[in-house]
Amino acid sequence: MCPTVLGRVQTRWATLIIPAIIAAVISLATGKAGWIVLIGVYYVLGVALDIGFYPLVIRWQPPWLTFTLAVGEFILVFILAHVLKVGLSNLEAILLYWITWWIAIWTKVAILPLLSLSWIENAGEFRSTDWSIAAEYQPLPLNVFTPTAAGGAPPPLARSFSATAIEIPEELRQIPTPSGVRRIPTTSD
Amino acid sequence: MSSVADGRHPGVSAGETFTRACSAELTYTARRRLTRFRMSASAPRDSVIAVVGDGFGSLIVHSTARYLGFENDQITIFGPSPKPFGTYQQYAYNLGQTVLRSESESHFMPADWPTFAELDAWSHRSLAPLWRSITRKYNPGVPEILTEATVVQASTGWEESRVPLRVGWLQRETEPMPHFAFYDEQANFIGRAKHVMLAPGHGPLSFPPILARARQDPAIADRIVQAYEPKQYAEGGRYIVLGAGIASVNEWANILDAKASVLALTRNPQPETQDLNVPRCLFESIGIDAFVSLPFDQRIQFLGQVLRGTRPERRQWLARIETGQAEGRFDAFVGEIDELEPGRAGLRVHVSNRHGEDPGWLDVTGIIAGTGFNKSALTIPLLRRLIEYYSVPVVQGRMKLQTNCGVPGLDRPDSRLCCMGLIANSVIPHGDTIAGLKFIGRRFAADCARAERLRGRAFPSRAAFQVSLGRSVARELRQVSPTQQLA
Repeated sequence: MCPTVLGRVQTRWATLIIPAIIAAVISLATGKAGWIVLIGVYYVLGVALDIGFYPLVIRWQPPWLTFTLAVGEFILVFILAHVLKVGLSNLEAILLYWITWWIAIWTKVAILPLLSLSWIENAGEFRSTDWSIAAEYQPLPLNVFTPTAAGGAPPPLARSFSATAIEIPEELRQIPTPSGVRRIPTTSD
Repeated sequence: MSSVADGRHPGVSAGETFTRACSAELTYTARRRLTRFRMSASAPRDSVIAVVGDGFGSLIVHSTARYLGFENDQITIFGPSPKPFGTYQQYAYNLGQTVLRSESESHFMPADWPTFAELDAWSHRSLAPLWRSITRKYNPGVPEILTEATVVQASTGWEESRVPLRVGWLQRETEPMPHFAFYDEQANFIGRAKHVMLAPGHGPLSFPPILARARQDPAIADRIVQAYEPKQYAEGGRYIVLGAGIASVNEWANILDAKASVLALTRNPQPETQDLNVPRCLFESIGIDAFVSLPFDQRIQFLGQVLRGTRPERRQWLARIETGQAEGRFDAFVGEIDELEPGRAGLRVHVSNRHGEDPGWLDVTGIIAGTGFNKSALTIPLLRRLIEYYSVPVVQGRMKLQTNCGVPGLDRPDSRLCCMGLIANSVIPHGDTIAGLKFIGRRFAADCARAERLRGRAFPSRAAFQVSLGRSVARELRQVSPTQQLA
């Protein structure tokens, strides 16, 4: 995949929803805010990397890089958790991080492609399955009608129809109207 | 005939190996799936969506439409082939191809999960496909991908949607609602549809003019073949292979395997190796956005640069070529054939070299042109008729399609006329690959769903559809001997 910055951020957000809900429930149940705070730290750090670092060093992201990035992010989250004193033990933080990553990667690999057919093609962005640039539709051409170029002289037929002609043939005058609506029936009908 | 690709038995021809592999795998599938009596549809048939063409594109549009929620009676496939992979299978056989150039995501299930490597790994209980996939060295084997195509075809009811007739003409109608009327090649009315996908496949095989003329001469016609045509090589034979793209390199390997000699002839210095048909990021919206933003002429120019006969790096090809070079049976040369006539070895060929000394007249057994297909839309009769009748703009043989692959003048948001495959690669640069067909097919099916205000499948239903397909494919793949990977 060649993710865009928007794609990275949207994907990060989408993959952390389930872990965030789980962590929030655990925090409420245990009265320990550290669980949801750690997810928040992970999210903020991830978004910062998605915006400020990864686009500079990664254009096409091969699948194997995912785990490498996860290890790097783990180290940063672990350090931040200590600096910010989130209130979890080392073991709790490690377990939460890797379970979160495992859920996030499954969401990314299996659920998002099913939710949006074009998620991968759209560089991780949640666009509708649509074309990149909207089409400018054109009207159906009529082959038999070939108008003359603008500014050119009228075609011969148009000239022969000209009302400036002094004489009009008698036969032309006698031709009935094209509409049959007001035609008077005759005995031959 | 020599063997071609890897994963073959020594002394067995490519065709035989390919046939053995495919027939073994497909026979199983045939037993399980195809023996169920599935009747094709009959004409005239009205539907919401129609696909003109019965190849890979039709399978992708059909399976995607089914995934989104369309039923079989709302989809029509027009084409005489009972197998959506029939044309490809024949070309792969002729080329002796055993693995695709495509990667793990390029297969026929509608959504991107599971990937083909995941299916392969699951069915064979092996981590090797996954490891290869994450290191980008996994290419689905031809027998495996054909097995999958067969399963998807059978499971989604592709055959029940197929009218076994070739469309000769389609007419835009606006009353009582915008739609298209279809006529076969004898001008019989065969159906109507609101939305149409034109998936006619490639044009005819392409030959350099001098070879095309020579093929008219019965004395030497049989000595000039296209890489995609059936052919055979003889031990000790001397062959010239034109071009240096993937088809040509495949033929180098074929000839060397037959213990014959090959002179690889290119008009220009050889192209760079490249894993995929077009650079990776062009496969995705980020690249396609940028590509489509270019003016049409620049797009054509760009395509000319990125598609000039690239080939993927294949460890096993390199090994064979190096062996051939060491044995004095392989050489590459920049030059052009400018004369040929019957000769002592079969053909007498004059090769000139603009960059150095001419090799002069050569006696060879035959010439193989790896020059691909004619890319002009005008070579496809139905398209030519549409272009002439509806004044569809054409530049350098390519239809000047809208940015949604629609045919200008005939395409409307409420009644689409869309193109896929090679004829659409002025919009989607990899339009003729499986990934490109999926890119176009998905958007077309989504357009149809929006236009029809389709009440689509809910997520659990989609997931169940995809998982069910995946399980069926994995079950069938278990019967297939894994094809040896080349990368």
